Amino acid sequence: MLRARIKKVYPGFLLDINLEIAENSYNLLLGPSGSGKSLTLKIIAGFEKADEGKILLQGKDITDLPPEKRSIVYLPQNLGIFPHLTVKEQILYPVRCQKKSLNKNFFEKIIQEFGLDNLLERFPSQLSGGEIQRVVLARSLMAQPKLLLDEPFSDMDFHLKMKLSDFLKETKERFNLTVIHVTHDPIEAVKLAERIFIIEKGKIQFSGILSELFQTTKKGFISEIAAQLLYLKELIKNAKSRT
Amino acid sequence: MRKAFLLFALLAVSFITLPIIHIFVKVSSHQLLETIKDREVWDSIFISISSALSATAFACILGIPFSYLLSRTEFRGKELIESIVNIPVAIPHVAAGIALLNEKTTVGKFFSYFHITFVDTIYGVIVAMLFVSISFVISSAIVGFNSVSKELEMVSRSLGASEIYTFWHITFPLALPSILRGAVLSFARGISEVGALLILAYFPKTAPILMYERFEEYGLNSARPITALVILVSLFIFFCLLYLTKRYAKG
Repeated sequence: MLRARIKKVYPGFLLDINLEIAENSYNLLLGPSGSGKSLTLKIIAGFEKADEGKILLQGKDITDLPPEKRSIVYLPQNLGIFPHLTVKEQILYPVRCQKKSLNKNFFEKIIQEFGLDNLLERFPSQLSGGEIQRVVLARSLMAQPKLLLDEPFSDMDFHLKMKLSDFLKETKERFNLTVIHVTHDPIEAVKLAERIFIIEKGKIQFSGILSELFQTTKKGFISEIAAQLLYLKELIKNAKSRT
Repeated sequence: MRKAFLLFALLAVSFITLPIIHIFVKVSSHQLLETIKDREVWDSIFISISSALSATAFACILGIPFSYLLSRTEFRGKELIESIVNIPVAIPHVAAGIALLNEKTTVGKFFSYFHITFVDTIYGVIVAMLFVSISFVISSAIVGFNSVSKELEMVSRSLGASEIYTFWHITFPLALPSILRGAVLSFARGISEVGALLILAYFPKTAPILMYERFEEYGLNSARPITALVILVSLFIFFCLLYLTKRYAKG
């Protein structure tokens, strides 16, 4: 569905990524900071240019398209809610900015699904953290994206983070979305991933499902992640046996 | 400590307000009435306001795109350009007037081709005001644009909005309170300008020039009533603008 072969050279850093993403899948991009995961996301979304390579989305070459022509919605760490627009204006933004005619049924459906009926005239400053997530996801869906790119939810407290990841996964199932989610949190990885990609030093060092990760013999960040997860599993088991 | 600081605060406030109050105390109602009937005074106030408004509009047209570029791009020599922007604030305004007094340059010839000259014309008044006030718009607009996160622009683009749509619907409205603050300051700076006008465009007379002239020719007593009137009008406009921008900033 998405095939990206991209190279970008910086002084002292080379990003050399070969990524294949299946339709309707939830993919996790894991890596230490400075590994190139956010840069990869920005190149796929069109905010950074690769020095060489090609990006194909559903067979279409999008390498040289501007971000607004790619059908890829980007969600940054802080979710990117527009502070000066009401909930209704946020949700209609993708329709208005492209001067498309509004599909009323789809709009109604989204409002209903995300429980936003009573919030339409409110501004973001009048919303709770959970409500903001719902608005942002509803807005993303109105753009009818082929791909959703997520930066890690790192600024949030643990509960909100877990609630959001649940919600994201649920939304993905209901609307047949394809998602690439960047994180450095192993718990999120276990919770969400159908497929995991681990990036280190600008290269994809591992791609596969969770159980494969535990069997990997590779060294470095990958074994670190696997070890962390196994350790977590042990801890929980021990704690359970104690009670 | 607070009490000592309060004393300084009181001194500062009195320092600003007492001279102004003094003017009003010294002006009799009869004198003020005479001034209100004076056609020349109202003409000068009208010239002041309309030129300062035009100068502010030009400052916004020239300054806003420039500030956006400065806020969003990194390049070598950026700091130098940023300090160039503040030159008009740093140099004496008489010097600004002398610098602008360039009829025989290419730029001067270019404009005279369209029958626009700057010495003792309304265009000269506007240009002088623009020169001394544009820095305020640019500095405030840079602060405004810097306060809008690039990520919001990225989100907007990824939702399908073009660069220009994103600018008008996300970046500009979010930076607008700062830009308006800069515009109000720029207007206030323009309307109070004397130095550059004395050199470049003494005519048509703006209110401060008329005040200065009356003081020079007839002394303090004739300058006071027009000063009082101009202060009243200026303060009225200034507070109206300030109120409007504050109200807008609150949404």
